[in-house]
Amino acid sequence: MMAMIEVTGLTKRYRDRVAVEDLTFSVPEGEILGFLGPNGAGKSTTMKILTGYLPATSGTVKVAGFDVFEEPYEVKRRIGYLPETPPLYPEMTVRGYLKFVASIKGVRRGPMAAELERVAHATGVAEVMERLIQNLSKGYRQRVGVAQALLGNPPVLILDEPTEGLDPSQRAEVRQLIKGLAGQHTVILSTHILSEVTMTCERVLILNQGRMVAFDEIRNLAHALGQGDQTSLEDIFLKLTAAA
Amino acid sequence: MRNALAIARKELGIYFSTPWAYVVFTAMLGISSFFFVNLLATFKEVQGLARVYGWARLPPEYGLFKNLTDGIVVQLWDVIGVITLFVAPFLSMRLFAEEKRNRTFELLMTAPVRPWEIVLGKYLGGVGVIWATLGLTIIFPITLSLFGSSESGTALEWSTVALGFGGLLLWGATCLGVGMFVSALTESQMLAAFLTFAILLPWMLLRGLAQSADEPWRSIANHLSFSTQLSTLSRGVLDLKALVFFLSVILFSLLLTHRTVEAQRWA
Repeated sequence: MMAMIEVTGLTKRYRDRVAVEDLTFSVPEGEILGFLGPNGAGKSTTMKILTGYLPATSGTVKVAGFDVFEEPYEVKRRIGYLPETPPLYPEMTVRGYLKFVASIKGVRRGPMAAELERVAHATGVAEVMERLIQNLSKGYRQRVGVAQALLGNPPVLILDEPTEGLDPSQRAEVRQLIKGLAGQHTVILSTHILSEVTMTCERVLILNQGRMVAFDEIRNLAHALGQGDQTSLEDIFLKLTAAA
Repeated sequence: MRNALAIARKELGIYFSTPWAYVVFTAMLGISSFFFVNLLATFKEVQGLARVYGWARLPPEYGLFKNLTDGIVVQLWDVIGVITLFVAPFLSMRLFAEEKRNRTFELLMTAPVRPWEIVLGKYLGGVGVIWATLGLTIIFPITLSLFGSSESGTALEWSTVALGFGGLLLWGATCLGVGMFVSALTESQMLAAFLTFAILLPWMLLRGLAQSADEPWRSIANHLSFSTQLSTLSRGVLDLKALVFFLSVILFSLLLTHRTVEAQRWA
């Protein structure tokens, strides 16, 4: 299968501080990759580089064969991105906001209404469409953020902690939604909640202090650490991030 | 271009859904009404004096008040030009600073939108709101033409009034361009407003500040000063030099803003 996302030797330095060091991985089309790591490990920085928001210090990132730095427009057309902080305009209504995002993502006027409908239903924000974003609860804001990323049905989704701020049942819904994206979409998903990864992702990439400490199927990781299938991702995570 | 228009529409929507636009509208109308009423009073007084003593015996600077166009509208346009300088920073400050503070800049920068579309869209949205502000002041000449009269037919010389108003719109667009560039440099709206003001005001006063300088600096400062260029336009003179001057400042501001946004990709 073709690699949808290809990262080679990616390094990001802020003056003397190294945020990400020599990261190399690829994600085949249709796969969901879990992005794990303690706070400050470089997950968000990596995602910002993948989406073309931040430039890398060195290394290359290719999405669908296009280099993020050389052809940012082509890459951006293919990515739906939910940043760490959902990028919302508090003064707008949910409908107005989603309409705006859809239009800058190139959704035409004809299919606009249907597209808003589709995304609103998928993320469960249909009932708050006319409300001002500033009056929404944190859970709804987060879901509007996810909805925004899905607009235009981009083949690649980069979701930075999509379940942050949701209650357990909402979390399960979003997880279900993400799981349903597999196959047609290539997804990179970062999260703190390890059980989430076990439920939605085939493979995980664990970052610690900017370095990749593991990149494999969860099952294989358990074996590699010399433990049986019972090992939880939690154990693996703690072991790998403590060792570094 | 479609993207730029979508962004412009969003900007306008936000301006009108927050109190800012209305505060600025009220300030503009309130302050300019005050000056309008004052000018009317002076006009009446001078006309009264002229009736008693005749224009020939009044000081020559009273000649302005022979008609409503020069006596009131042109002077009012000058005052509104100065008010614009004070209110424009409050309209331009949020354009980029707010997006950065809100983290919505990330949305714009990762959407398939080219930097020039972001800059142009924001500029058009901002110009829309400042033109709406200035548009309100057209009620003053309309009031005059409804209730005023003159010996030579219509109360106002509309071509002069319209050219002066066009000059004001151009001036508003210039202030906004400078303000947008400053807003792109910072996350703080307060700082953006303050810096914009700190650039516009000395630029406006450049002529006065350079009075004591030697030639050729005095002439250069004179030409570069906003007040020099504005004074010909507000008098209703179609001055190509002034048009080119203001359009260059706008274009230069847009280019600088574009470079600033583009620099995000490299920093």
